[in-house]
Amino acid sequence: MRRYALFLGCTTPTRVPQYELSTRWVCKNLGIELVDIEDFACCGSNQINISIEAGLLLSAMNLAYAEAQNIDIVALCAACYGVLAEAAEDLKNEELRDRINKQLSTVGLQYNGKTKVKHISRAIYEDIGLNRIRKEIKRDLSNLQIAPHYGCHYLKPRSISRGFDDPDNPKTLHQLISATGASPIEYETLDYCCGGKTFPNSQDLTHSLIAKKLDNLQRKEVDCMVTQCQTCYLMYATQQGKVSEKFGKQYNLPVILYPQLLGLAMGADPVVDLGLNLNVPSVDKVLAKGGQST
Amino acid sequence: MQAQPIRVAELDANFKQEVIAYEAAQDITACFSCGSCTTGCPIHEAYPEYDPRKLARMVNLGMRHRVLSSPYIWYCATCHACEEHCPQNVRFFSVLNVLKNMAAKEGYAPSSWVNQTKQVMKTGIVFPTEEAWVKRREELSLRPLKPEAKEAAKLIRLSGVDEIQPRT
Repeated sequence: MRRYALFLGCTTPTRVPQYELSTRWVCKNLGIELVDIEDFACCGSNQINISIEAGLLLSAMNLAYAEAQNIDIVALCAACYGVLAEAAEDLKNEELRDRINKQLSTVGLQYNGKTKVKHISRAIYEDIGLNRIRKEIKRDLSNLQIAPHYGCHYLKPRSISRGFDDPDNPKTLHQLISATGASPIEYETLDYCCGGKTFPNSQDLTHSLIAKKLDNLQRKEVDCMVTQCQTCYLMYATQQGKVSEKFGKQYNLPVILYPQLLGLAMGADPVVDLGLNLNVPSVDKVLAKGGQST
Repeated sequence: MQAQPIRVAELDANFKQEVIAYEAAQDITACFSCGSCTTGCPIHEAYPEYDPRKLARMVNLGMRHRVLSSPYIWYCATCHACEEHCPQNVRFFSVLNVLKNMAAKEGYAPSSWVNQTKQVMKTGIVFPTEEAWVKRREELSLRPLKPEAKEAAKLIRLSGVDEIQPRT
């Protein structure tokens, strides 16, 4: 059985608990053991804006907590994954690691460069695989047309994702969606950024980025968007009403997290196991079209 | 950004050296201003005032004050598209982080980023503890979060970042 420390980050556990809930259900039913490390704190991705050093210290602290339990990390958030994986890469450098370890020792920690970091979708793709997913399908989702949204840090920079997928022409989330029986669509603004990292500083800028993708998808036959990062979810889903109001549009595109889609296909209870009732806008239309047991 | 003349007297010939003293920003000297970064930038598409090519040029010219005081350096979405398309392997994302770090030390950081770091020192995450989400986690039978992170606070203090004052 594959075993990982589950890195929740800041936003999923407090703002998008249905991502955590559905991930735990899916992993339990696919045989991925998730270990909770209570001492994990913020990944450091926002701190690097004002202090690269503060960000790196936080990343190193989290990597050290996992290493102390001899376990690799799986992250839900694309940015947590990105910043922790980059820090793990940087900290392979012994000189830098020695310097950081002097600081970590003040809180009784040490990092020896062993922790590996994966994103949950990549763990499902690589450790479980598409064939196994196809065998687990209990609900017919073949009527669903889905727009995949990868999330910038999932594949960029490619020096970190290392050939897992092509950031300019990505396919793996399309494949993960196809494996559930639903159909991923192609669309022009596939690689657009959700703007989540600019949101605390400039909501107008983020709203205009969100509108570009929603405008594109409004012209397509699509039942919902699937994301694999809670910040992308919050931008496209929770901000959708405000963006509609601001630009005088009538967007009504359900957005769901990939483990929610996979859990649905695997026959999980949409409310109890996946928290789909918490998604805004409502996913009722998606459930009506894809709720039949096979 | 309205075009303004560049005055030689305002240029700081040492600025580039100051920037490349940070390991994360050393690639900036390889920039030949082709604009691939700007072409692929989603923020530039929405807000043309944010222009990575122009910022790189301003650094190399020594426009210290205009770069560090610019509100636009804080608009980056951190998507990494700029460095994916750079033929000179300039990691502009890292260069920009260095510029933002320098700007923050001089009091130009937006309060949003400064406040988030202060919050992490209290709860370990960028949000305060709120009854609504604590209760929601209970209802969903999800484990409670640790309410504080003394270790994170101590490490953040070691970096000196807690002394940074936001832009007023």
